[in-house]
Amino acid sequence: MGRPVPRGGPVIIASAFDLSTNLPLIIGGIALGSIYGIVALGFVLVYKSTGVLNLAQGDFLMLGAYFSVTLLVTNDLGLLVSLPLVAVSMALVGLAIHFSVMRRLVGQPFFSIVLVTIGLGTIIRALLLMRYGPIEKGRLGALPEGSFSLGSTKILWANLIIVGIIGLLLVGFMLFFRFTRMGLHIRAVADNLEAAAAQGIKPDTVYAMTWGVSLALAGIAGLLFGNVNNVTPQASTIGLAAMPAAVIGGLGSLGGAVVGGLIVGVFELLLGYHLGQSWRQPAAYMLLFAMLLVKPTGLFGRRELDRV
Amino acid sequence: MSVAPLLRRRSRPHPVLRRVVTDYRDEIGILPTRASRRWAVLVGIIAIVLPWLLSRDLQPPMGFPWSTWSQVINLTLLSALGAAAFNLLVGYTGQLSLAHAGFLTVGAMVVGAAGVKRGWPLPLVLVAGAAVGLIVGVVTGLPALRLRGPYLLLATLGVFFISQLVWKEFLVANFGFVGMQVPQPRLPSWTAGLPLFGTDTGQGLVINSNFRWYILLLPVCGLTILFLSNLTRSREGRAFAAVRERDVSASLLGINVARTKLLAFAVSSAVVALAGALSSYFLGARGEDSFPIQITLNFAIMIVVGGFSSIQGAVFGAMFFHAMPEITKWLRSEAPVLRDVDYLQDHAGEIDLLLFGLLVVVVLMTKPEGLTGLWRDVKGWFTRWPFTS
Repeated sequence: MGRPVPRGGPVIIASAFDLSTNLPLIIGGIALGSIYGIVALGFVLVYKSTGVLNLAQGDFLMLGAYFSVTLLVTNDLGLLVSLPLVAVSMALVGLAIHFSVMRRLVGQPFFSIVLVTIGLGTIIRALLLMRYGPIEKGRLGALPEGSFSLGSTKILWANLIIVGIIGLLLVGFMLFFRFTRMGLHIRAVADNLEAAAAQGIKPDTVYAMTWGVSLALAGIAGLLFGNVNNVTPQASTIGLAAMPAAVIGGLGSLGGAVVGGLIVGVFELLLGYHLGQSWRQPAAYMLLFAMLLVKPTGLFGRRELDRV
Repeated sequence: MSVAPLLRRRSRPHPVLRRVVTDYRDEIGILPTRASRRWAVLVGIIAIVLPWLLSRDLQPPMGFPWSTWSQVINLTLLSALGAAAFNLLVGYTGQLSLAHAGFLTVGAMVVGAAGVKRGWPLPLVLVAGAAVGLIVGVVTGLPALRLRGPYLLLATLGVFFISQLVWKEFLVANFGFVGMQVPQPRLPSWTAGLPLFGTDTGQGLVINSNFRWYILLLPVCGLTILFLSNLTRSREGRAFAAVRERDVSASLLGINVARTKLLAFAVSSAVVALAGALSSYFLGARGEDSFPIQITLNFAIMIVVGGFSSIQGAVFGAMFFHAMPEITKWLRSEAPVLRDVDYLQDHAGEIDLLLFGLLVVVVLMTKPEGLTGLWRDVKGWFTRWPFTS
């Protein structure tokens, strides 16, 4: 009792537990986190079925964001048309990447392939700079402005729509994985490549499919991200926050990636608001360290067995 | 490793045997054959003559740029230092790390705190930078004891972001928002009497020109890189390679895996911190955004292009990385057709970036040994000449 309180201390502590300041942050965090979630989902999908750790995922997100600049701002196409267009064009990019590069690297050491994705990311960044220039593009502004009140908290329409779109997307994916032949094949290859191949599943087709799906997810995430943040060439580092999200959820788990994304999004916004904006980027990694200390396999991951 | 085998005098081998590698001691030797010793002498002569030539005011044909190369060479030396250390950890020990831009900031912070604020002399700052880098490296390496592959990569990426945070706080606390201005370093006063380089004023040499930087950087970087390549020849170096291949198997061979990993992290980080301190002095001003993740990726580009898992490859890669933009710049301004294409002139930096990206992908797909492998092939072709296919 009577311990001296540092100046400014009570204010910070009071605001940190005040629900009316935190609730909008949490809702914004869920919107941001669901974007992270689908980027992480694409990342985990590729990692699980092809074994490639894709460090270019952030650059793919930027590619999607810049595609949407062309569709939404330059051509004024509207959200409902551009969203599928971005997804399809990004899926084609993914197929191109698989058939031109990744397919030839099967069997190479893990580290070489990681470096190849760094090279791919560099190429994409260079092409984006050449096509769109280094000046930032601002927000895309395809989602409605304004907010509505729920009780005493204001909720932005944009956040609600983002969460809605991603929710629909995830339901679609769940159905795809559960009820289609291709989804079954992807799950089989992700689970055990050799057993799947022995059953007559073509790994090559599945790999191509996963790259397509992963990039389509990154593209949709890029479009939505461009509506809540400025589109700049530097923003690709933000896509890196999706990777800790994947590990927090457990690298082997598709659902875990989404949950990890939500946790990272909420934590990042809360930390950024209460401690200052420069804490936003490390936030995800602090969570990552905590998770690796407590449970290295992540929330939903399985322990990998080692064979010498 | 004991020094005795290096000092022991060997009986003179047969003239033919002097040209080839015959036993394991030769195999790991740094200059095992007569040909390699001749190459070393040649490289030494070039290293001494080249800057002297560069400081002349020559006018090569076709407007080839001449004076810019002395700065390129200094940057190459600094990058070679960083890339060699990166290669020791990533290529040689197989521990993926994206924290190396963070280790550079460690060196820069030591320069800021000790060199700029307290006015320590340059050699002391460099030693302090390497020492702090060593400690930071051990701490960063701790996750490597339990984590592997993607998990380790992400943990080191986290270290990078935390170092960015610390660096920004450090800059704001000590230098305000304008960033850090590093004065030109002054060597101790005995350097005044050095032949060729010395000054008449009786004071120490102020490192203020590219030529003087070269005579400072060549011994520092050269000796450190020699140290790294000697390290890879020793027991520790073989332990590094064993850990890269499979750490569980390495532990069965009696290698202390934890110690080996920490050692690799510590040495790599210390050398990179040294490079960071040197480059802060060399570049003069360091701001908030001076150490982006791209620096680490550039190290990766260098070791891929040069060829990873050899220290020589890092040096080749650094040379290539800094020489290529100069050459493309020259081609853009002088080559007959390219000169007239406006698009190339407007997007110079982006096209260089694109070329590097393409190069990384193409090298890894077609020739994973990189420039080192190419060099070995060319040398082998001539060595075996009339019997080459």
